[in-house]
Amino acid sequence: MQSAWLSTHLRAARPRVLAALNRVFGDIDLAEDAFQEASLKALRTWQREAPPRDPTAWLIVAGRNAGIDSIRKKNRETLSAPEDLEPGFDGTHPEDELTRSLDQSAFRDDVLRLLFTCCHPVLRKDQQIALSLKIVAGLSVDEIARAFLVQPKTMEQRITRAKKRLQAAKLPYEEPDAVARANRFSVVANAIYLFFNEGYSASQGSVLIRDTLCEEAIRLARLLVRLFPEEPELRGLLALCLIQHSRRKARLSPSGEAVILEKQDRSTWNRKEIAEGNVLLEAALRKAAPGPFQIEAAIAATHARAPSYKDTDWQELDRLYIALQHIRPSPVVALNRAVVQAQLHGPAFALDRLCDLEAPLERYASFHSLKAALLDEAGDGPKARKAYERAIELAGTDVERSHLQKRLDGLKPVKAI
Amino acid sequence: MIFSVLIYASEDFIDALSPEEHQEILKKHGSFHEHTKSNKNFAAAAKLMSTGTAVTINKERDEFLVTDGPFAETKEQFMGFYLLDCPSLEEAIQAVKILPLDHGRIEVRPVEFFEGADFKNAERMVINAS
Repeated sequence: MQSAWLSTHLRAARPRVLAALNRVFGDIDLAEDAFQEASLKALRTWQREAPPRDPTAWLIVAGRNAGIDSIRKKNRETLSAPEDLEPGFDGTHPEDELTRSLDQSAFRDDVLRLLFTCCHPVLRKDQQIALSLKIVAGLSVDEIARAFLVQPKTMEQRITRAKKRLQAAKLPYEEPDAVARANRFSVVANAIYLFFNEGYSASQGSVLIRDTLCEEAIRLARLLVRLFPEEPELRGLLALCLIQHSRRKARLSPSGEAVILEKQDRSTWNRKEIAEGNVLLEAALRKAAPGPFQIEAAIAATHARAPSYKDTDWQELDRLYIALQHIRPSPVVALNRAVVQAQLHGPAFALDRLCDLEAPLERYASFHSLKAALLDEAGDGPKARKAYERAIELAGTDVERSHLQKRLDGLKPVKAI
Repeated sequence: MIFSVLIYASEDFIDALSPEEHQEILKKHGSFHEHTKSNKNFAAAAKLMSTGTAVTINKERDEFLVTDGPFAETKEQFMGFYLLDCPSLEEAIQAVKILPLDHGRIEVRPVEFFEGADFKNAERMVINAS
């Protein structure tokens, strides 16, 4: 077997294998080391022999044995090793027995637990992303560091601290009840969307690295949907990510500047991803259990359906934002709804709505840039100029700043005095 | 005779492919298209979306039940199929050897009845093996 394919097998099996090892050992560090050992063993043997029919099961068995070995070495105690499960290379595959038991729901919960652990609320957001990418997706520290534009050493420390924090939190390993499970789904879905967004909105770093983050997020979402197809919010999450991701080509100009929705070349949107997102959303909505991801996916789908910005179904978007505001009220949702209201009722109406949002969003660049655009549309050039200036002050990145500066420069010049 | 060429693979594996590996797989499908079209064996091709998009419909007593996803979690998923019009099983097997076979598996199974859709300009196609 070519070694390139071999590493793809390892990458594909990683989430499930680590999840199982994490259950066996109750320790992420040990599980990771055991996976590493199992991978090395796989590299040695799969090249020589025919690869196993089920690489995942093979790696779990090999990883478990490696983990037990290392515990043994540490403790110098005799633990009973499951010798009968030693991976065999004589053509028979004793792991088949094991895999059958792995297809049960406990195995699905293993993956959920692993992700939940990496995205645990005791961790900071940046730690959650780093741990998920490192442990579940299997990205190297260097790759993750590049994605976040920090030194590998800094990223290494961030991951080590995150693991320490998890150990200190002493997370319980019991099976979750229905409420705890629902909570895990929501925590994990939010974290995956968070790092999808990190890739989606990061305006620095190369396109390649941003796409990597988005694609890893989509890969994890796909895995979750495959394991838990009955969870409509997970399908909503995947639908949302796919539809957003379908616009990646249109969102950046050839010179790397951000292109707003209104100006995007819709012919470059990826129709396959939009179609998949739409059908996922439709399947999710059949459950009649709406949640924020399904509604956000519906918003994205409404934009994707529109032949042009002008011909967008703003009425439908307004209804969806009302629903979102009801389920998950936030000033940012209200801000997004104001964009829709401006289309439906004109800039003056929308500016009125913005007044209530001034206090909570005062330090939010997007608030000021929307306000500027609306003021400009309403014919108040000087105030629009001020709002753009404020937005530029608050903008987080150079790309955002230069984009805003362009719009500021595009305003009709103030009469020379 | 019409043969169906049924393709199974692990979605975990497909999701983990690098763009280059993906390209390599697509290239083999491209050669398969070229080969079967040039000798008029090609009848149809369908690539399915991810199993996450699927629902399963069955009936319990008089109630329709629509459940999410495919029946059970299996290691390999049904990814898509070709239909080939070949004079013999042997010829179908020879053609399938062009497809990527390092990962997953391909089942060849004769078609008893086939009816193609009336897409705008195409002739309706009906083949009944019996």
